[in-house]
Amino acid sequence: MEHLAELILIAVGAAVISNFVLTNFVGICPFIGVSRRVDMAFGMGCAVTFVISIAALLSWTFTWFILRPGAPLMTWIVRTVTGDPAATSDLMILSYIVYIFVIASSVQLVEMYVRKFHRSLYKSFGVYLPLITTNCAILFACLKIMAYVTDPKELWGLDKALVLAIFGGVGFTIAIVIMAGIREELDHCDVPASLKGAAITLIVAGILAMAFMGFSGVDANLRQAMLPDKAPAATQPATQPAAKHLAAAPWPGVYPRSSRKGPTESP
Amino acid sequence: MANDAPTPLERFLRGILPENPVYRQLLGMCPTLAVTSGMREAMTMAGAVTFVLLCANVLISLIRGLLKPHLRILVFTLTIATFVTIADRFLSAFLPEMSHKLGPYVPLIIVNCIIICRCEVCASRQSIPAAAADAIGQSLGFALALASIATVREVLGSGSWFGVELVSESLWPRWGIMLLPPGAFLTLGVLLGGANWVSNRRSVRRPVATTEG
Amino acid sequence: MKNTYIGQAWLVLVLSLSFGAALAGVETWLRPTIEANKLAETIRRIPEIVPGSDAARSAEVEPLVVTTGTGRAASRHDVFRALDATGRQVGWVIQAGGKGFADRIELLIGLDAPAETITGLSILDQKETPGLGNRIEEIGDDDNKGFLWQFAHHYPQADRPLIVTTASPDMSRSDAANRILALSGATISSRSVCTIINEALSGELISALRSSVSTAESRHGE
Repeated sequence: MEHLAELILIAVGAAVISNFVLTNFVGICPFIGVSRRVDMAFGMGCAVTFVISIAALLSWTFTWFILRPGAPLMTWIVRTVTGDPAATSDLMILSYIVYIFVIASSVQLVEMYVRKFHRSLYKSFGVYLPLITTNCAILFACLKIMAYVTDPKELWGLDKALVLAIFGGVGFTIAIVIMAGIREELDHCDVPASLKGAAITLIVAGILAMAFMGFSGVDANLRQAMLPDKAPAATQPATQPAAKHLAAAPWPGVYPRSSRKGPTESP
Repeated sequence: MANDAPTPLERFLRGILPENPVYRQLLGMCPTLAVTSGMREAMTMAGAVTFVLLCANVLISLIRGLLKPHLRILVFTLTIATFVTIADRFLSAFLPEMSHKLGPYVPLIIVNCIIICRCEVCASRQSIPAAAADAIGQSLGFALALASIATVREVLGSGSWFGVELVSESLWPRWGIMLLPPGAFLTLGVLLGGANWVSNRRSVRRPVATTEG
Repeated sequence: MKNTYIGQAWLVLVLSLSFGAALAGVETWLRPTIEANKLAETIRRIPEIVPGSDAARSAEVEPLVVTTGTGRAASRHDVFRALDATGRQVGWVIQAGGKGFADRIELLIGLDAPAETITGLSILDQKETPGLGNRIEEIGDDDNKGFLWQFAHHYPQADRPLIVTTASPDMSRSDAANRILALSGATISSRSVCTIINEALSGELISALRSSVSTAESRHGE
């Protein structure tokens, strides 16, 4: 149950609280370029989610088994080749190159699949499908997974990595579809000539980002609700009349220095 | 064909304002929004992009005769990824605080459309001097764009410029929103609108006789 | 067909090999500097949070590695010894991190030598709201006390949890030192900091540090 709670927290975090587009500034180019109509935006969102999932799967596998310090497969190879039982490998320097190739291959795979089984969709995508390779959101998801996999306190498995990636894509889709809906309405409005196109989209995105800021801190409370057995620092309600301390500074006045003994020194 | 290609000087000058990567071509918006909360971060990012763009353009221009059509995107990507890795390691070693603040946006230079676009449009077709001039011009344009946005955000958001405090907090309250994502979007949107307005006025005042319809 | 594919691929292969060599060279050259940078940030702050300690001296000693918990819940802590200029241990510095309001908060907790009280707190990394949660970094001075001031001056007990309050704690209470006043407008950030400290200073870690101190004392004699 705790594991499921963790996964839910990661999912909500990636989709809404730490939205890829509106909080992390990735995937802006398609966000501005493809958000004219809702159906196109939704299609792009789904394609990006699909590509992110495959890319995350492949990049996690590479990172876990080959790239990270002490990776099982690479360490075994190095030990067999050099004959030194204590040798370890650390190929993190190659991580960016590996990830970009993984992404390019994922896009190629998805392109082949769509061309074979959904011809009309392929035609409507046009040049935008191969352009998903340069979508920052996918590389960003891979980099985040890399950070969590190589962090010794986190050591994310495939489940958490996939949840992050898929729900990151879902968050991207949510943002781009909302923007498309707004832009369809904006088409009927009197937008000043200099603001038409990207400028008004960015201003609307700013307001959307403000709205999404309202989700900050939701995960702190969700975590509290779902995983209450951790040792939280519970907030005690004020026992004294609260009004006077709500002035600007958190320290309403000087209060006497504690008479308890200070830090002891070792003898 | 070779006579129509822009000279190195033209490439350099075009990259700064007329073909500015952010304001005119609308490329590379992700780092533009992400790192412009302060001038120092913005200039560090501009420096990193300059390094990568220059090295990638020069190398691609060097091997442009050997590039086959099918594999050229692959070669571009490989080159750019290598130089970005080098830049990232340099930053972690010699500017650790900046590297920490820029975070994942340095490796995101790999998918920055500016660099791939310049490799495709210029470096794979022209000689080394032209490619180098193009790289420097585009980087200068990018740095200018970043500086414009970072100045607005930092002055309004922290009351400082390059970390030096300009106005004390009691005289001018800080607009915290400028340092957060909404501020980035709004600033870029308004400045982009301003740039469009300026260029519209210029093209109205000086109608250019074009041969194309 | 096969001929042209290999013909086209040779360039990619040559490039890959030369780039690989270049990257390996850069890695070998820069790795020591990068590792040193990571450590330097922590070492630099040791004098701030453990009074009387010396950064250079503390850097010379290997951190103590403490593993708490078992199995999946096991976690490894690197605990730095804070030494004064003569080499005598005057405290401990523990790295801890966890989820804050906006993103992850990384901090350093300073403890006195018998691991009984907290002597100071330093925020290594935070991405909280500017102007509000951002202010958890501030120590301030006696007139303008910042959030961190109370960790350095009230001597919270290390083996009891910190409790966040929104009213000035009544200092005559026996557990007043462990009551931390939240920053106005940044309750969640303040609460996150205290939760991180509570989770890091688990009973196992404290007893490991105390037993390490007593073995050192018994080894050196009195």
